[in-house]
Amino acid sequence: MKRILSLLVAAALCAPASAALAETFKIGFIASYTGVFATWGPQFQHAIEAYQAIHGKSVKGPKGETIDVVLVVRDAASAGPDKAKQLAEELVLREKVNMIAGLELSPHAMAMADISKQAKIPVVIMNAATSSITRMSPYFVRTSMAVPQFVHPMGKYMVDHGVKTAYMIVSDYAPGHDVETYFGKAYEAAGGKFVAKVRSPLNNVDFSSYVEKVLQASPRPDALYIFMPAGTPSINLVKEYGARGLKAAGIKLFGSGETQQIYLKNFTDDVLGTITSNHYTEWNTNPENVQLRTQLKKMYGDKEETDIASVGAWDGIKLIYQALAALGAKADGLKYVEFMASGKTIDSPRGRFMIDPKERDIVQDINIREVRKVNGQLTNVDIAKVPMVRDPWKADHPMK
Amino acid sequence: MISYALTILLDGVSFGMVLFIISVGLTITMGLMRVVNLAHGSFAMAGGYIAAMMTQRGIDYHLAVAIATVAAGALGAICEVLFYRPLYRKGDLAQVLLTIGLVFVSIAAVTAVFGAFPYPVIMPSYLQQLVDIGFRTYPAYRLFVLGVGGATALILWIVIEHSLFGARLRAAVDNPRMARGVGMNVNLLFLITFVVGCGLAGLGGAIGAGMLSLEPTYALKYIVLFLVVVIVGGEGSFKGSFVAAMALGIIDTMGRYFFHDIASYMLYAAVFVLLLWRPKGLLPPKSVA
Amino acid sequence: MNIALDPKIVWHASPWLLAVVFFFVAGGYLSLGTQVMIWILFALSLDLVLGYAGIVTLGHAAYFGFGAYAAGILSIRLTGDPLIGLVAATALTAALGFATGILILHTTGVTFLMLTLAILSMLYEYANRANDLTGGDNGLQGMQLDPLLGQFEFTLFGETAYLYTLAVLFLCFLVSWRLVHSPFGRSLDGIRQNPRRMRAIGTPVWWRLVAIYTLSAAMAGSAGALSAYATRFVGLSVLSLFTSGIVAVMLILGGARRIYGAFLGALIYIVVQDFSAKVSPYLWEFVVGGLLIAVVLFLEGGLMSLFDAPVAAVKRRLRGEARDP
Repeated sequence: MKRILSLLVAAALCAPASAALAETFKIGFIASYTGVFATWGPQFQHAIEAYQAIHGKSVKGPKGETIDVVLVVRDAASAGPDKAKQLAEELVLREKVNMIAGLELSPHAMAMADISKQAKIPVVIMNAATSSITRMSPYFVRTSMAVPQFVHPMGKYMVDHGVKTAYMIVSDYAPGHDVETYFGKAYEAAGGKFVAKVRSPLNNVDFSSYVEKVLQASPRPDALYIFMPAGTPSINLVKEYGARGLKAAGIKLFGSGETQQIYLKNFTDDVLGTITSNHYTEWNTNPENVQLRTQLKKMYGDKEETDIASVGAWDGIKLIYQALAALGAKADGLKYVEFMASGKTIDSPRGRFMIDPKERDIVQDINIREVRKVNGQLTNVDIAKVPMVRDPWKADHPMK
Repeated sequence: MISYALTILLDGVSFGMVLFIISVGLTITMGLMRVVNLAHGSFAMAGGYIAAMMTQRGIDYHLAVAIATVAAGALGAICEVLFYRPLYRKGDLAQVLLTIGLVFVSIAAVTAVFGAFPYPVIMPSYLQQLVDIGFRTYPAYRLFVLGVGGATALILWIVIEHSLFGARLRAAVDNPRMARGVGMNVNLLFLITFVVGCGLAGLGGAIGAGMLSLEPTYALKYIVLFLVVVIVGGEGSFKGSFVAAMALGIIDTMGRYFFHDIASYMLYAAVFVLLLWRPKGLLPPKSVA
Repeated sequence: MNIALDPKIVWHASPWLLAVVFFFVAGGYLSLGTQVMIWILFALSLDLVLGYAGIVTLGHAAYFGFGAYAAGILSIRLTGDPLIGLVAATALTAALGFATGILILHTTGVTFLMLTLAILSMLYEYANRANDLTGGDNGLQGMQLDPLLGQFEFTLFGETAYLYTLAVLFLCFLVSWRLVHSPFGRSLDGIRQNPRRMRAIGTPVWWRLVAIYTLSAAMAGSAGALSAYATRFVGLSVLSLFTSGIVAVMLILGGARRIYGAFLGALIYIVVQDFSAKVSPYLWEFVVGGLLIAVVLFLEGGLMSLFDAPVAAVKRRLRGEARDP
């Protein structure tokens, strides 16, 4: 009797669970949850979780198999690229991930190049915005933006709207230099003139002297154009802009990512009227944006806010799901990349986008928006749109 | 041109005032208790965050700053009894390490409670205005900092130079053994001084939040600045810390205006050269004042 | 008497045996092991100056970082040979250590501390700005390493890096051990406790300090170079105040002035950090800070000193047994 029972149990254990076994697709997720960039990790993750809440945590593969999509999260801790590289090695060697995603900082994304080529796995970059990144490995796909892409439409816009002279202050790091070049070229090509082009040290949060010099500049510029990392630097710069009387003197303020919705509540009303160019206006009414925002508020409370991290992650996970549905969980790394960089126009909370097949980088609409008060709250309101903008850096640096 | 120079001066001195208010506590405790306190920035940070938290809940700015000052002092009292008292005889290394440990704990605590987003102090509208000071309009906030800093310096000077407490303090700095020998309760003196020092740090953190922004890594980021003020001025020297804070504020501001490329580089190089030339600081004390 | 079972030899051989065993069983954790050894070497170098000579510095990452960048830049611009690179990076760092040592070692206390911080900060700023040389905040890209001894490639898996690091660590350990147990080492002990008295008996205190500072800088530079080879990458963090602080924390946790304290401290720190970072982001900062405070207040000799009582008891037992007829 006991023998029969144990034989039955053994047989039951050996029998296949079902014809369609669940496969797992592991995504190694590298982003910062602590340190200066601590907002990126949670913002990315919430958007991905929102997507998974709507579309499920698994995908049906091409042969009907169930593919569980598992996120293996590692905190890049706002540290240097060496930390990111170490985490990636860990994810590949220990966790045996099939793909890497996340990466809010350009140095972190760059540090993935070697590993992606050695381990032959795709990397979906959900924020890092330096142009040259996508060239560093054939396994890179970017779903966020490239810095020159979203700043250069502003050049023509400003000239078209009467800004004949401008004073530019950018943060002294690679993206800032890109802005200097590409916004600079666009503005001058449209007929604008720079009174000065200044770089402020990356860690600087005291802009009193910089802003003072704008006021003292001769001739007095029509506008101040800035490029600062979002957060404390932007907030402080705009504060000084008001506090030192630039606004009162009639100098208009232009920028790009400084007035992201998540930071707007920390600004004073001096920020009203600031015009920025960006690929994502948080309170837009696109159906997919409404879906994302509603789901986020349902899962994380009414105060939850979207930002470019949310949309980069949402579109990233969407592409991954589509790739898995078409290719299954065991396809070759480059095949996934090829699928995602299809050139097809895809709906998104930002509006729409396309991943260029050759550059594997994103092409999308750029919005010009103004900071206004809506229902008593500061927010960005779209006032113009520049369609399907490509990263101008790529044209200047053709692939060999 | 003159207006420009005066602006730089005003900017530099107002920044220097924040540095002074925060660092004066450090120089006195380092000179008096001879404890290397790398966690001093944490008390300034605590004052800043407490004030910010209260103003964000609508409490009057001045009241919030006052409460933050007292709270920082209270925090100092707790830390003195628990952590610093055992350190007095343990030597430089132990002090450096324990206070680094405190810094780590404070950064973790602040991140856990307040998050990593920048945390602003909501200032009353009259401080956000521009004031006409004759040759230009200038931010009221910076004038306010100048006022508070100057008043603090004056009060401290009076206490240290002209009060019995000040005399005792100076005696204990000059010669602790002798001071004990004549019956002074040096432990109580240490405690009171430390509490006042931390309270001042909290005050500086609270009113200085417009210049030294509040974020979890505040305690680590700015401690080097405070230490520079203390060392350059001379440990234990009240006058020295005032002069050093003003000098640092002006040099730093000028660096930002004119040499923003190499500003921070210049600062460290200047400190390096200065310390090699004058290892005891610019105005080392024979006594506290 | 069976020498193989002599407890002293067992005690000393065990970490190395463990390291060799780890090589075979580690799997995907091998690179973590390499990291632990690199930090052990770095902490060991700090023990020489901080623990034995009593030089309280917060700027030791200057030498670690300099060594890392030297090795990295040499591999890109001059030669990819990892042996030549290591020797060159170590030599260059020793030169830096010597130069800075003679400039600042006549000061003490907080002044000295500030000077070490100033040196570290200047190096950091320089590396940050010299984009063409160091890659700036993007890090040093494009390191290409030749196979070690012409045979062993540096792969993603990290076998070569591990064994190379182990060999260098062993060598430096031997040097350190001999040093601290020599008359020179004892004189350092004396200098730490009472420099005035040492001068009074004729010891060239300042020269001894310069010598140990230079040696320690060289060792830190080797650790830095190995770190560059292990990840084929150098980031600005190698020159950060944080790195300097962490290595001091490791040393104190494990126990200064014990050689093996560096081993224990680095191992525990990295393991705890690896573990608690997964549990909660701010937990490990809290835990490390708390541990540090606890160690300073209650455990003077670091965690190694926890072994003191049991080891002494074992020794007594063995000696007692040996004395029995």
